Amino acid sequence: MSSIPRLSMRGIGKSFGGVPVLSNVELTLEAGEVVALLGSNGAGKSTLVKILTGLYSRDAGTVEVDGEAVLFGKPADAIAAGVKLLPQEISVMPDLSVGENILLGDLPMKPGFGFKQVDYKTIHIRATELLAQLGFEALDTHQDVKRLSVAEQRIVEIARAIAGQARILIMDEPTAALTEQEAELLFAIIRRLKQQKVSVVYISHYMSEVFEISDRIVVLRDGRNAGDFVTRDTNKAEVLAAMLGATAGDLYPTEPPPPPGTDVLKVEGFGVRGKLADVSFTVRSGEILGIFGLVGSGVEVLGRALYGAVHSERSGQVTLDGRPYRPSTPQHGKEAGIGFVAAERKKEGIIADLTVRENIALPFQNRFTRGLFVSTEAETGHAQNWIRYLGIRTRGPEQKLRTLSGGNQQKVCLARWLVEGVKLLILEEPTRGVDIGARREIYGKLRELTAKGFAVVILSSDVEEVAGISDRSLVLDRGRVVEQFPRGVTPAALMAATAETQTA
Amino acid sequence: MATTETTVVAPSLKRRFMELLAKPWSGVAMLLVFYLILIAVFSILSPFFFNTRNMLQIGLNVAYIGLMAAAGTPLIIAGGLDLSVAAIAGLTGVMISLLVGLGVPVWVAVGLALALAAAIGVANGLFTTRLKLNPLITTLGMMSIVSGIALVLTGGLTRPLMIPGFNWIGSERLFSIPIPLIIMVVTFFALWLVMTKTKFGRFIYAAGGNAEASRLIGIPVERTVIVLYVISALAGAVAGTILGAMLGAAGPNAAGSQLLTVIAAIILGGTSLNGGRGSVWGTLLAVLILGTLNNGLTLLNVSSFWQDVTRGVVLMLAVSLDQLRNRALGE
Repeated sequence: MSSIPRLSMRGIGKSFGGVPVLSNVELTLEAGEVVALLGSNGAGKSTLVKILTGLYSRDAGTVEVDGEAVLFGKPADAIAAGVKLLPQEISVMPDLSVGENILLGDLPMKPGFGFKQVDYKTIHIRATELLAQLGFEALDTHQDVKRLSVAEQRIVEIARAIAGQARILIMDEPTAALTEQEAELLFAIIRRLKQQKVSVVYISHYMSEVFEISDRIVVLRDGRNAGDFVTRDTNKAEVLAAMLGATAGDLYPTEPPPPPGTDVLKVEGFGVRGKLADVSFTVRSGEILGIFGLVGSGVEVLGRALYGAVHSERSGQVTLDGRPYRPSTPQHGKEAGIGFVAAERKKEGIIADLTVRENIALPFQNRFTRGLFVSTEAETGHAQNWIRYLGIRTRGPEQKLRTLSGGNQQKVCLARWLVEGVKLLILEEPTRGVDIGARREIYGKLRELTAKGFAVVILSSDVEEVAGISDRSLVLDRGRVVEQFPRGVTPAALMAATAETQTA
Repeated sequence: MATTETTVVAPSLKRRFMELLAKPWSGVAMLLVFYLILIAVFSILSPFFFNTRNMLQIGLNVAYIGLMAAAGTPLIIAGGLDLSVAAIAGLTGVMISLLVGLGVPVWVAVGLALALAAAIGVANGLFTTRLKLNPLITTLGMMSIVSGIALVLTGGLTRPLMIPGFNWIGSERLFSIPIPLIIMVVTFFALWLVMTKTKFGRFIYAAGGNAEASRLIGIPVERTVIVLYVISALAGAVAGTILGAMLGAAGPNAAGSQLLTVIAAIILGGTSLNGGRGSVWGTLLAVLILGTLNNGLTLLNVSSFWQDVTRGVVLMLAVSLDQLRNRALGE
């Protein structure tokens, strides 16, 4: 077929601070085609989407929409070219009406009293027309959007996206906040859009959705194309293999785990209201326990609840070193001997304007204080020690943390807890946004640290990571533990254990 | 039909300026240069400007303002803001005058005024941290309450404050340096020690740099901020005491017009309104610059109304520079 594709991205390259994030990536879309874009965390999906929507500029490659070369310098350029993004978080104006929300980008005006004013009558007529295209002409365009259900708000967003002639619609985890029936409704809309020759890039972690709605599946891995499948000619195993790759083997330490020691943390029937229920497990010293769960499974709550950073009502029994343990603030967790590294490094981890030395010394500042004053020498000695041990690439302990790469910032966050008295490390997404070299080093050092007696709990939505590093692993789904695995579990087995892929 | 993309950007003047701004010392260095230029210009324009007497006069004039700006600096670095500080200064003078009138010994009266200020600081701190109210609105409200009470207590009139054994704190000199100036410099030095050499100082920068991250590593963020509100309020009370002693009178709104100078000095001094960055030495230089501007313009017979305009312009320039610096640092 020699027809001009709706979208053609070729040879796309992008790097941040010298680290390549995308290299030579291709993505094509025919008119009316739904292409699922898959890849594990850090594979480059979001960077590619940001290039397509004009948020990032590309370093190399070409982008053509309907055969016309485009250079999106800012999001408005992409929107003008008919490339619309439906972000993961719903972004509607709750206090405006349905009609206003839909036509927000291009409000119809009319003359009157000598100046132009908003033409509300036309708004509601045009909004109803757009909703009719999606099959929802019954939605009252006069009501405030805050009174709609989440699914209806999604529909309003889609109507807004097609208001200005959408040619390409990018949906990022569109079902994240929807129930199963609501998701079905979304699929019906996507099918209608297909008939109207709108092309869709569909990003999701959920295999079953991808197989239900897409025509083609494009897989990215480590910033490169790793597979391009026609959906009806492939299967989940094949797609998973492309996502995970066969090269992952040497990323994880191969030395055998140290013999497990005493119980460090014992969790029985632990629950957090509305988020987690009946979670039980034990972590022994010398052991790495991996906890895998997709977004919304409770994986983002469990670690911080055990550390003391969650205020919601908790239930169940937790013992630390044989003593009952009920933390209600991070201070409690810290004093009890737990170190915690949060998932969102920039928001919850680093203090960018402090130096490497200051960041490392911060949680246990008392230990570096002599009398009234902080001892810079003590801090420097300690920091240099861990900079060397963890291989933190920095000009020295006085460098501002802001200027380090993600992987090195992550190592600094880890180094904070490597002091006497800390026996358990709780790490959320320990290698999110970390390049492959630093990941290997972090995994290796975690193994070494367990040999020194640390117990480690890793909470992650990266299935490969949990499979690769864990001595034992749990799978969380909808706030409950659904499976447990010994060392050597495959990523596919972990993924299959989530209810989503099981029932599909 | 390939597009050839060139992402080569020549190191333009703008880029170089931004790189300069990203350097940690750039703020203080620029202030120092600006200060020296200002001194040179006024020395040329006025024969009465450059001499020890006038320089010390500038120091005396800005002492109580500098005191408030010094204490406000760590507070803004930690993510707070205190607009009630100048109103507290006004109330303090009024309280001392009234209590002494009731027969209370003057230094006891000063002590009581400081205690009240500390309580106001605690209130500011609790409202902004525990109830998570916006510090701008909270302390604006507190400013209105405090200055309102001072007006109620005095009926809006200025009260005499000539008390034996008290006014020396505003008028005496030690080794020919005015006492208020000494108090200000000592305060700056003490705050510098606290902010750069102590655990508490580390918490100030950490809390302002990333409050959420600080909380998650077990740093008492709220307590740190509350203590800083108390320090700011106490500085307001000491400033009010000094001002009253200097003038021999206590007006209910004696320092109110200087609130803008205080905030302007902190921002001009390179402290980021977003928190996490800044130093007291930058604030000190900025206080001296603003004081020198006032003094020099007065010597040149420029109307004091124009000085308000100047101060506003300087403040807006300082805020723009802060914004540019944030952009240079990639935020």
